[in-house]
Amino acid sequence: MYGGDEVSAIVLDLGSHSCKAGYAGEDAPKAVLPSLVGTMDPMYLPQEPEQPAKMGVDGDNNNAVDPKTGKPVEAAAKKSTRKLYTGVQAMGYRRDHMEVVPALKDGLINDWEVVESIWDHTLRERLMIDPKEHPMLLAEPSFNTPQHREKIVELMFEKYQIPALFLAKNAVLTSFASGRATSLVVDCGGGSTTVAAVHDGYVLQKAIVRSPIGGEFLTDCMLKALEGRGIAIRPRYSFKRKEVRPGEFELTNVDFPNTTESYRRYIQRAIAADVKESVCRVPDGLFEESSYANIPTTPYELPDGQTIEVGADRFKIPDLMFNPALVQTIPGMEKFTTEAGASVKGLPQMVIESINKCDVDIRRELFSSILLAGGTAAMQQMKERLEKDLIEEAPQAARVKVLASGNAIERRFSVWIGGSILASLGSFQQMWLSKSEFEEHGASYVHRKCP
Amino acid sequence: MSWQSYVDDHLMLEIEPGRRLVGAAIIGQDGNVWAQSAEFPELKDNEIDNVVKGMVDNGQLAQAGLYLGGLKYMVIQGEAGQVIRGKRQQTGVTIKRTNSALVIGIYKEPTKGPECNVIVERMGDYLIEQGI
Repeated sequence: MYGGDEVSAIVLDLGSHSCKAGYAGEDAPKAVLPSLVGTMDPMYLPQEPEQPAKMGVDGDNNNAVDPKTGKPVEAAAKKSTRKLYTGVQAMGYRRDHMEVVPALKDGLINDWEVVESIWDHTLRERLMIDPKEHPMLLAEPSFNTPQHREKIVELMFEKYQIPALFLAKNAVLTSFASGRATSLVVDCGGGSTTVAAVHDGYVLQKAIVRSPIGGEFLTDCMLKALEGRGIAIRPRYSFKRKEVRPGEFELTNVDFPNTTESYRRYIQRAIAADVKESVCRVPDGLFEESSYANIPTTPYELPDGQTIEVGADRFKIPDLMFNPALVQTIPGMEKFTTEAGASVKGLPQMVIESINKCDVDIRRELFSSILLAGGTAAMQQMKERLEKDLIEEAPQAARVKVLASGNAIERRFSVWIGGSILASLGSFQQMWLSKSEFEEHGASYVHRKCP
Repeated sequence: MSWQSYVDDHLMLEIEPGRRLVGAAIIGQDGNVWAQSAEFPELKDNEIDNVVKGMVDNGQLAQAGLYLGGLKYMVIQGEAGQVIRGKRQQTGVTIKRTNSALVIGIYKEPTKGPECNVIVERMGDYLIEQGI
């Protein structure tokens, strides 16, 4: 039992695209940062006087001197631990040979060292808290595996020494955020889209349907579509823009040959994502090249001063959520299709599939409480289009209702907000998995305390 | 100790003054009731059978529903081979498999799922340790 009155719990939601963290009870996360880190192989590191301990430099030394730079040379036999650069600022600075590595793969934690680095940065540098003092509510994917859960529990208690923990499924938290115990949650996230049925506060595991089409995929398609039209997106570090006369700018290209491809893509994607978020709208019906051939274009100014006109792509890209086969028409993305083997379904089909996997008795209730969540769900007209498509495809008797917060911030952070609500409830305080319970029973105790 | 005292003194113990599980039982995987609490529902033969089969793969139970005493529970996250958990409006059930038995606990709001899990599974762990 952990009384949570005096000390705020921390709510931590690590997604494929971004990590959200903040205090329970607040209405938005204080820290939002990308779920990526920059990594650098130690051989490229410049000599720094305060070498971090993990470099394995332990006293036997640096008597050898590099003839070119006159600086001491790292003894070659040292353990090669890569250096990680975490957080928006550290990653925003371009470094030679710095690769960009994501924390999650296919929605699950893939690289634990990267995850630790992100949590370290988030807790100590962004929130500036001592984890020993705060119970942590962690959001986890609805399809998280038992092994992943146990590893998270171990890491949190052993490394961060937190006093208490709870793991809550994303879909459940989204459901709470909208005040419902039963709903069908459609989470359009950065890395993927997950449709999950929540019944009386618990996810129905067998009814989870997933698709690899998420915000990042749409961004990649936007990038490819623009490149296909001959528009080069220049990363910010690759040019200098000077005002030579009032209102007139001169652009010079700056070359950094040692910039890694992954970093260049990371920066380009950030720009393409902004284009996507600014101009895209979900079309009212299935996208057809011919009907959108002559629509008026929307201008967008790129960081290098170029103004581009985005036309049919404004509607084509979001329609990929509803009609994934459209990806074939985007130059450079043709090879995407059958990586997973089975054909990828559109959003309305995923919803129907998930509801059909649920018990007949609750299907009606699920149809009338479909919740939209996630950053990609914040796209304009998403709710209206999904509702329209579902009304067409659902059985006649079903009353279809799609609910989404009007506020884009709330849609993007609905999982975090649900966690904030849950962790502040008085009735929740007896549910925490405490440090002493972990020490007594081990990590597998999490399955019974956080089902 | 008799099986009945396992149920009365351990599974049905007070979680908090005035609050305990609404039903508990220890039932053999062959369907024989070893002991059950006063208001525990009467289980049909095929219900126990389905639970035992569902322990290995709960797909069928998830599709058709977990029935106990004629009432349908929705299957929520369990632990393959060990635990089946179900939810039904304000109530829920935890079923833990031991070597030859099933420990079953039924809870109702304000008692929560995790509390029922802890009680039932702890008993199950103990029986497994005893080779039962």
